[in-house]
Amino acid sequence: MTRQDLFELAARNMRNARLRNALTTIGIAVGVASLVAMMSLGIGLQRFANHQLMKSGMFQTVFVTSRQDPRNMDDNADAKPDAKPEESPALDDAARAKIAALPGVEEVAPEVRATAEVEYAEHTNFTMLAGLPWSARDEDSLEKMKGSFFSSATAEEAILQRDFAKKLDANPENLIGKKIVLRYAHRQGGGAEGFQIERRQKSFTIVGLLDEQPYGGMRMISRARVFVPTQTALAMDLMQPADTQQLVRAEPAERTYSMLTVRMVSATQAEAVEDAVKKMHFSAYSYLDATRSMRRFFAVLDMFLGIFGSLALAVASLAIVNTLVMAVLERRREIGIMKAIGASDSDVKRIFFAEAATMGLFGGVMGVILGWLIGRAINLGANLYLHRLKMPPEGLLLVPLWLAAAAVLFAIMVSVVAGIYPAARAARLDPVEALRYE
Amino acid sequence: MSEASAPGKQPVIIPAVEALAASRYYQMGEATVRAVDEVTFTLARGEFAALLGPSGSGKSTLLNLLAGLDRLTAGNIRVQGAELAKMDSEALARYRRLTVGMIFQSFNLVPTMTLADNVELPLRFAEFPRAERRDRVHELLAGVGLAGRAQHKPSQLSGGEQQRAAIARALANRPGLLLADEPTGNLDSRNGQEVMALLEQLNSQMGVTVLMVTHDPALAARYARRALHMADGRMLAAEVAQ
Repeated sequence: MTRQDLFELAARNMRNARLRNALTTIGIAVGVASLVAMMSLGIGLQRFANHQLMKSGMFQTVFVTSRQDPRNMDDNADAKPDAKPEESPALDDAARAKIAALPGVEEVAPEVRATAEVEYAEHTNFTMLAGLPWSARDEDSLEKMKGSFFSSATAEEAILQRDFAKKLDANPENLIGKKIVLRYAHRQGGGAEGFQIERRQKSFTIVGLLDEQPYGGMRMISRARVFVPTQTALAMDLMQPADTQQLVRAEPAERTYSMLTVRMVSATQAEAVEDAVKKMHFSAYSYLDATRSMRRFFAVLDMFLGIFGSLALAVASLAIVNTLVMAVLERRREIGIMKAIGASDSDVKRIFFAEAATMGLFGGVMGVILGWLIGRAINLGANLYLHRLKMPPEGLLLVPLWLAAAAVLFAIMVSVVAGIYPAARAARLDPVEALRYE
Repeated sequence: MSEASAPGKQPVIIPAVEALAASRYYQMGEATVRAVDEVTFTLARGEFAALLGPSGSGKSTLLNLLAGLDRLTAGNIRVQGAELAKMDSEALARYRRLTVGMIFQSFNLVPTMTLADNVELPLRFAEFPRAERRDRVHELLAGVGLAGRAQHKPSQLSGGEQQRAAIARALANRPGLLLADEPTGNLDSRNGQEVMALLEQLNSQMGVTVLMVTHDPALAARYARRALHMADGRMLAAEVAQ
């Protein structure tokens, strides 16, 4: 029998028991709707969480340290026999260039941190100074910054942390455009024998105020009060903690950095770059590591939502079994007739499968629409609530096209599986018996 | 179990039906019911035979065996060269579809389908080309005088009309053998005669071999050219009618 004939017969049979088939189809629709609503909630929440985290720009960043540096000793180092500090190369300019050459890397900025004194309006404040890489200009955590980012990578401009700025002026906004003087420890000369340190001072223009710490205040990174462009800070030859370390070691070495901040063009490259850096025997850390557990949480959440959503569909599949078993009993004679005039067992089986699949298709499509409407309703309710809290609206539920398509396919699949028993029963019917049956 | 030769006119070379010790036994608890017990007979091509016997004699079971609806316990049946004993269920379905047509005492039309749909059903199973189906259905219904009733449901028709529609359906795939199980059993005499006249016409004009089960010797004597008698599952004797 051709597929077209099969579905014509199935459609005819379903029309003949309209109410029963409609009820079963609605049952499937409710099952699919609950599944779609649950899954879209999971997807929506995950997207929401990712979106919030991505805003910080942390995912585009990998922090690299050398295992030689005793301050950067990994707590887990003992547990990792391959992590031998002596094999980890120094984090010098050569390493910096090597990492910068990795694909997808936008900028490799050394960490520059130093204590400094800020002079403004004849008042002085002792604080922490840090370099802020040029590539941080797009970072979303700087979105809420007042004023602007540095005008160039080597500008003699400063961005102040707001709480610190309040110490300089009760109304920090007034500071933008004003000049401050920074006093700092300048490292004079180099080489293995030693260097001199002297006090220097430099004038900077305040261009911006920052509420949050860059990189979401990750570890100790960049947790400072005054930020200047990293290149400017490097040119200032600030005395760095690593400098003493270099001095005390017997073997003379190049100047090293305590940490490199590697910025990727997009977050998708972070994992590959992190792996590549680890292969160079450096320690690497990124927020991807921190979100791994979060992603696992969402995978588990999705699974649970999927299981709960599927429960209704499982119940609906029993309704399909019931409907089709009834149909087999009711149409016993008809099945006998069909067999007598030439239907094979598999023809009979396929007719019932086609009926199950048709119910699955209609139920699936109805269910996706229903699930989407439920999602809209929940979104609307949630956004009304958010609006009352004066928070921006969020799309909590999301029905992507793949979910809609997968839900319909799944509904058809479940229906066909539910049809196995009734179809086999119909196919097994003995035509002689079935024709005798009145 | 004697084998009768076909009536005089033309010599028979290939028989339409050949039953060789065809048997169908049922197990009823301890007892074995020999519904059809080593039945051997031959039907020539184009023959019109009646199968007579009291109820329970096994004539319906034999007809079901010939129709490919029931399976042989032992022996063999050959219909136009095809051996039923060797067929699997798929091959038997194909055999029922293309080689035999069957009509029943209770017509067995699908009540929810129109006559046209009923007649189209075997064409669907045979994957008859869709483009030619409508014409074929019309031709079949016209052939039994029901062209105007194509869109009627069986319940809207008289018994005679229903049986004629069933005949049209049985002929859909042009089978060589038509099996009729008490075709006039549910009909009044006028409708019964109409149906018998149609069967006779099919037999004489289209050369369809007809085997009709009946318990009415008068009917057998009037239409069949040969009568086969069964009792207790065995073929008694074959006699030439008329």
